[in-house]
Amino acid sequence: MAVAIEIERRRALSLARIVDRYYGPAVSTLAVLAFLLLWQFAATRGWVNVRYTSAPSQVFSAAVDVFRHDHFLHHAWVSFSEFSVGFGVALGIGLPLGLLLGSSQRLRLFVEPPLMALYTAPRLTLLPILIVWLGIGMASKVAVVFLGVVFPIIVNTIAGVREADPRLLQAARAFGANAPDIFIKVLVPGALPAILLGIRLGIGRGVLSIVVGEMFVSEAGIGHQIMTYGEAMQVNRLLVYALSITLFGYALTLAVRLLENRVRSWRPQP
Amino acid sequence: MSQIELRDVAIEYRKPKSDESFVAIRGINLSIDKGSFVTIVGSSGCGKSTLLLAIAGLIPRARGSIRVDGRDVAGPGRDRAMVFQEASLLPWRSVHGNVRFGLELQRWSRDNVDQRVAHFIGMVGLGQFADYHPHQLSGGMRQRVNIARALAVDPDVLLLDEPFAALDAQTREVMGNELLHIWEHDKKTALFVTHAIDEAIFLGDKVVVMGKDPGRIKDVVEIDLPRPRTTAMLDSAAFVAYRRTLRDYIAADMQSLQMIEDAA
Repeated sequence: MAVAIEIERRRALSLARIVDRYYGPAVSTLAVLAFLLLWQFAATRGWVNVRYTSAPSQVFSAAVDVFRHDHFLHHAWVSFSEFSVGFGVALGIGLPLGLLLGSSQRLRLFVEPPLMALYTAPRLTLLPILIVWLGIGMASKVAVVFLGVVFPIIVNTIAGVREADPRLLQAARAFGANAPDIFIKVLVPGALPAILLGIRLGIGRGVLSIVVGEMFVSEAGIGHQIMTYGEAMQVNRLLVYALSITLFGYALTLAVRLLENRVRSWRPQP
Repeated sequence: MSQIELRDVAIEYRKPKSDESFVAIRGINLSIDKGSFVTIVGSSGCGKSTLLLAIAGLIPRARGSIRVDGRDVAGPGRDRAMVFQEASLLPWRSVHGNVRFGLELQRWSRDNVDQRVAHFIGMVGLGQFADYHPHQLSGGMRQRVNIARALAVDPDVLLLDEPFAALDAQTREVMGNELLHIWEHDKKTALFVTHAIDEAIFLGDKVVVMGKDPGRIKDVVEIDLPRPRTTAMLDSAAFVAYRRTLRDYIAADMQSLQMIEDAA
């Protein structure tokens, strides 16, 4: 009798543990599935005009079609390379600049006002002038991505460095740390969570920039295809491209978030 | 033979948003013998931590001279190591990494650094916790790391700035005992700042009593209790007498503070 109760209790416990672990992801997945079902249902029952809304099944067959016959990989590659170059340059310039500005108040006074203005300015408004300067090819899109990514990285890196705990700096100095020591062993590791946050925000802005940039003017790329199919009222294909770029941004953001969690593991769990 | 010599030391701080300066301490004369354990006690605001930071070479002085082993103190040096209050450990480094920190900064040869680090972590009783991060440790354990970090760089002088101030009374007593136990090994010169009178008497060969407005030394009391010190001594007649003397000094300070508050 007691054994039976014990087994029962253990089973309940392990069930509770399983529910606990998978509760969040399960609910999220169910929500997505429910949405897709509702969408499909609404389309087949004629509640909405499929011409405007498409349907999951149609998007799926359009996807098969696009991957086979629409040079999908070529367009994806164009967008991806524009994004990567713009992002890489932004990281290469934004990170050192943010570290530098974070550790020098004089430099900050000098550079901060225009920097903040550029950070808050809707930079896509610069697109026409970038195209005048750089043409409709890759360069103008790289520049838009760069402008979208570089500011969140600079601003968050500055914040991360400035929030350095003065007590840690004093301890480092007491053990004879020179300026490079303090920079490498105290400021940079301390700012790392903020830097990663800046990178994550930058990814979102960069993905947006690439699509809008290509929609505005381009010869190829995901945004270019979205614009083309939008004008042609081909909602199915349009959604295939829109979903692809969304998934790309989502996966990249998720990867950085995992990295952030790793880096933050030394902090007390909230 | 005296190892630390302070002659007429004064330290001033600039008042924020003005050209005036504020005298933190002045007229400090003090000699500390090699291998002795000296405690500095005083009410808050008497400049005792300021004095310690000046000896560490972390803040400049307005006047006077500070010499350690005959050399003028112009900045931090390998001959001195500091134990800070609680929050001075790097939160992203493990216990091992934190103890290693000082050795890295002082460019110790890498050959047996990790062995050395492990030795000092063992000495403060944290052998099992080398991979833990500071936020996973209790306050007392964090201060053991802090002490190990300072000892690992093999200083001639150990400077301790209220290292147990954030701990509860029981832990504090245990840590005091252990600190003395470690200190008895090689009797490095130790300078220990505290606001707790009992702690100052229990640990010290000498207690430096500081007063304030401006920060100055009121008296240096020789503590004539045998070593090793034991907690039983806390109730001895001699201890009680020392406690009364020191409390009178500090009470006088608190009284003047009360008068200022009353006037305000």
